[in-house]
Amino acid sequence: MNRVIRAAGFLLLALAITVPARLDLELQFDAALAVIYGLAILSLVLLTGYVGQISLCQATFMGISAFGTGMLVNTFHLNYFVAAAAGVLMSFLVGIVVGIPALRLRGILLAVVTLGVALVFDKYFFLDSAYGWFTGGSFGWHVSGTHVGSIKVDSLHVMPAYYVLLGIFVLVALAMLRLHDSGSGRRFRAIRDSELAAATMGVDLTRYKLVAFGLSAAIAGLGGALYPLVVGSVSAQPFSFLYSLQFAAFAVLMGIRYVPAAAIGGFFMGFMPVILVRLSHSLHHDIKYDWFQVVLGALLVAQLILLPDGVWGDVRQKLDHLQVKAPRRKVETA
Amino acid sequence: MSLLSVKDLTVRFGGITALDQVSLELNRGEILGLIGPNGAGKTTLFNCISGVLQPDQGRIRYQGKSLRWLKPHQRAQRGIARTFQNLQLWGTMTVLDNVKVPIDALGKRSLVVDALGLPFATYAEKAANERARAILHVLGLLDHEDRLAGDLPVGIQRRVELARALAMRPQLLLLDEPAAGLDAAETEGLADLLTRIRERFKVSMLLVDHDMSLVMRACDYIYVLDFGKLLAAGRPEAIREDPKVIAAYLGEASAELPGAPEEEAVVVAKTAAQPTTPVFRLPDRPLLEVSGLAAGYGHLEVVRDVNLRISTGEVVACIGANGAGKTTTLRALSGVIRPRGGRVIFEGADITHDRPEAIVRLGLVHIPQGRGLFPKLSVEETLRLASYSGADGENLEPAFQLFPKLRDRRRQVVGTLSGGEQQMVAMARAILARPKLVLLDEMSQGLAPAIVQELFRLLDEFRNRGVAVLLVEQFVDSALAVADRAYVFEQGTVVHEASAKELRRDKGLIASSYLGSAPEPPAAAAHAGGNGHNGHTPLPAELMEDLMLKLPASMLRSLQEKSAREGRPAQALVLELLEERRS
Ligand SMILES: Nc1ncnc2c1ncn2[C@@H]1O[C@H](COP(=O)(O)OP(=O)(O)OP(=O)(O)O)[C@@H](O)[C@H]1O
Ligand SMILES: [Mg+2]
Repeated sequence: MNRVIRAAGFLLLALAITVPARLDLELQFDAALAVIYGLAILSLVLLTGYVGQISLCQATFMGISAFGTGMLVNTFHLNYFVAAAAGVLMSFLVGIVVGIPALRLRGILLAVVTLGVALVFDKYFFLDSAYGWFTGGSFGWHVSGTHVGSIKVDSLHVMPAYYVLLGIFVLVALAMLRLHDSGSGRRFRAIRDSELAAATMGVDLTRYKLVAFGLSAAIAGLGGALYPLVVGSVSAQPFSFLYSLQFAAFAVLMGIRYVPAAAIGGFFMGFMPVILVRLSHSLHHDIKYDWFQVVLGALLVAQLILLPDGVWGDVRQKLDHLQVKAPRRKVETA
Repeated sequence: MSLLSVKDLTVRFGGITALDQVSLELNRGEILGLIGPNGAGKTTLFNCISGVLQPDQGRIRYQGKSLRWLKPHQRAQRGIARTFQNLQLWGTMTVLDNVKVPIDALGKRSLVVDALGLPFATYAEKAANERARAILHVLGLLDHEDRLAGDLPVGIQRRVELARALAMRPQLLLLDEPAAGLDAAETEGLADLLTRIRERFKVSMLLVDHDMSLVMRACDYIYVLDFGKLLAAGRPEAIREDPKVIAAYLGEASAELPGAPEEEAVVVAKTAAQPTTPVFRLPDRPLLEVSGLAAGYGHLEVVRDVNLRISTGEVVACIGANGAGKTTTLRALSGVIRPRGGRVIFEGADITHDRPEAIVRLGLVHIPQGRGLFPKLSVEETLRLASYSGADGENLEPAFQLFPKLRDRRRQVVGTLSGGEQQMVAMARAILARPKLVLLDEMSQGLAPAIVQELFRLLDEFRNRGVAVLLVEQFVDSALAVADRAYVFEQGTVVHEASAKELRRDKGLIASSYLGSAPEPPAAAAHAGGNGHNGHTPLPAELMEDLMLKLPASMLRSLQEKSAREGRPAQALVLELLEERRS
């Protein structure tokens, strides 16, 4: 199975590297967005898929690093990438703080609390003029772009930013695959399956939960930090709780326990709107993005019933079944 | 001086006092038993020791230091490991991974190293693998190392829990009902295993179990709890005969414990439940008729070609070793898993492919091993739900009459009940559903002996009311004492069918399917204690304590008993002894 998946992965990566360069600017822009969304979903795979902690404020974490980067670039005129690193650090720290309630709460309560965090940030931070020094006021920050060597990167030249993002995504994805089967990954998964057992078997719940929240926020923040470069500006709208909910929905739909689900989910989230728009042009019929959301909701319900482990979880299982040739061990049951 | 010392521990949950001023001492190298009726507070005490729960009052000292401010994982790293009554394995992880988590927790491994896959991580991984395999080997679990823990049968899951706890390199092992779900032969094996583990891994243990054959066999000393209070403490022989303990906990079963005077150590309910002629029975058409049943999981066919017939008001036992396919058969009958072949006819209707809810409505009720309750519902809600599915009104009285304890707990959520209390709820639910046929999978699991006797009597009651019962039971003798007939399972199919009487007489038949039957009385019960080795250096001022630590646990225990009797410190007694020797 592993071999099939790995080959498919390489193929997809090759496509991801070669195809966007041939597309028009709008599609290139969407490709970059797709990777940013992919990172956000990846951050949920870590937090929810591995560690079992629910968060409905991943877009907020993205927003922190996006605004932070914008602020550092505009106010302190830092080099863009230095600013971006600092922005990711901010996300990490905020993530740890948001993780504190998770030490006490679980499941639906944690979902509600993190959703609350998202709403508070939306309304009283990102949009409040009192924090204009951080958010750039009601117009947000304008980011004119930067140079990598002699290559210009801005919202009209997104390919370099796209490649940086893609590289980051691949590295994070690989690290997460490694992590899954390592000692730390086992501890994470132990927390997911039974906190009680994890604590009594020597796993420091406080530390690991906070680290998980911090890392997850940082991964989401990686996408956020490069967002201004791709879009050219930062405003509150793309980091609203609605996006957090969409990340969660896509993650669950595609299989929140699996890294590849982030790639698939990011792809759909990034390209679906433009595909719908172009489709409606060619059909001379207006297909609204809202409809897509309705369809997404319906898909989610169908998936929860038919494929509880998500689309990727199901595909994987099918591949597993194809592979079973070796005789299995006898199973005991009582 | 002792490894673990608990003093005046009190825990309250709202109005309930789960532990009331409990004190106990556990010496190094000792296996200490902790018994008591359901809800007596045994698991609560474990929770306090492992740090999952903070006591309201009292203190716990471990290796001479207070545990008060240590979190659960710190206690684990200092050598306190435990197993859980309600299994807490990491179900989506393999058995090997389950055992590796505590091993990693002992080593200091960092997230960064792991995520980057640095050479050191690979090396540590190898070492962890080796140690984990060694432990799995000792417990005979190597065959299962790649299976997901959640997919294994309950009996094996218990062993994995034990393996995982041992991987913590514990000095103190807290075992909460390790024998639940094991048959007589396995329980006997477990007793030996525990003594072996004590020698080999140098651990002391605190053992909770309702299987007296295990407790009496394995323990050096026993504490008895009742309603959160210490009822008695003493050596197994003394506890067995203590009238207070018999009244509160053991019930008449104490007569058939290993080592008890009666030669023919059988039957709990023999007198109470002579197989009587049922009040009514339809001889022509059986209630349940199963032919050629096959079932399994995933790629595996676990049972095949099973044929059963049960008439109204009959009590039928399924016996056979763990892994013979009994549970799977019951699950296929009640529709929990889909039969792969064969036919199941219930009251003349083909129910082979019916959904579980439909089958329950027909009056075939299954009480699964592990209970299948909703943890967030209250006792009352759970029981109401049951009486709906059985079409009858809301009268919960029959259930409360049988388990008076549940009446007091009717508002408590099921998830917080003690393990035994949960089992009571599961049984009560089945009774309220007005079944025609009850499938009972290990009904006595987790219940105090006195209640188990009560339940076996209940089976007789079922029979008199014309309700048929198919039961799988770890206490084979007790099961055969009430049953009319039995099917013997071996390797996924029925190999023999006989009347219970016949089987009771012909022990060889059972033995061959279990490779062992009722445990024999231990020759010299509870003789040796482990030799109390330790690697812990005492303070110079406490030379005395050092000396005491070197004493074998059993001798130390006699000293403590003597000191308690005479009201003098144990140290003084040792000095006296030494003086005597010298003169
Ligand atoms: N969180 C809780 N809230 C309320 N009551 C509780 C809670 N936890 C335990 N109890 C009650 O405390 C009592 C002691 O429970 P405990 O689990 O210690 O019993 P036990 O001795 O282990 O019994 P068993 O042999 O049935 O396992 C029980 O009556 C139980 O219902
Ligand atoms: Mg208990």
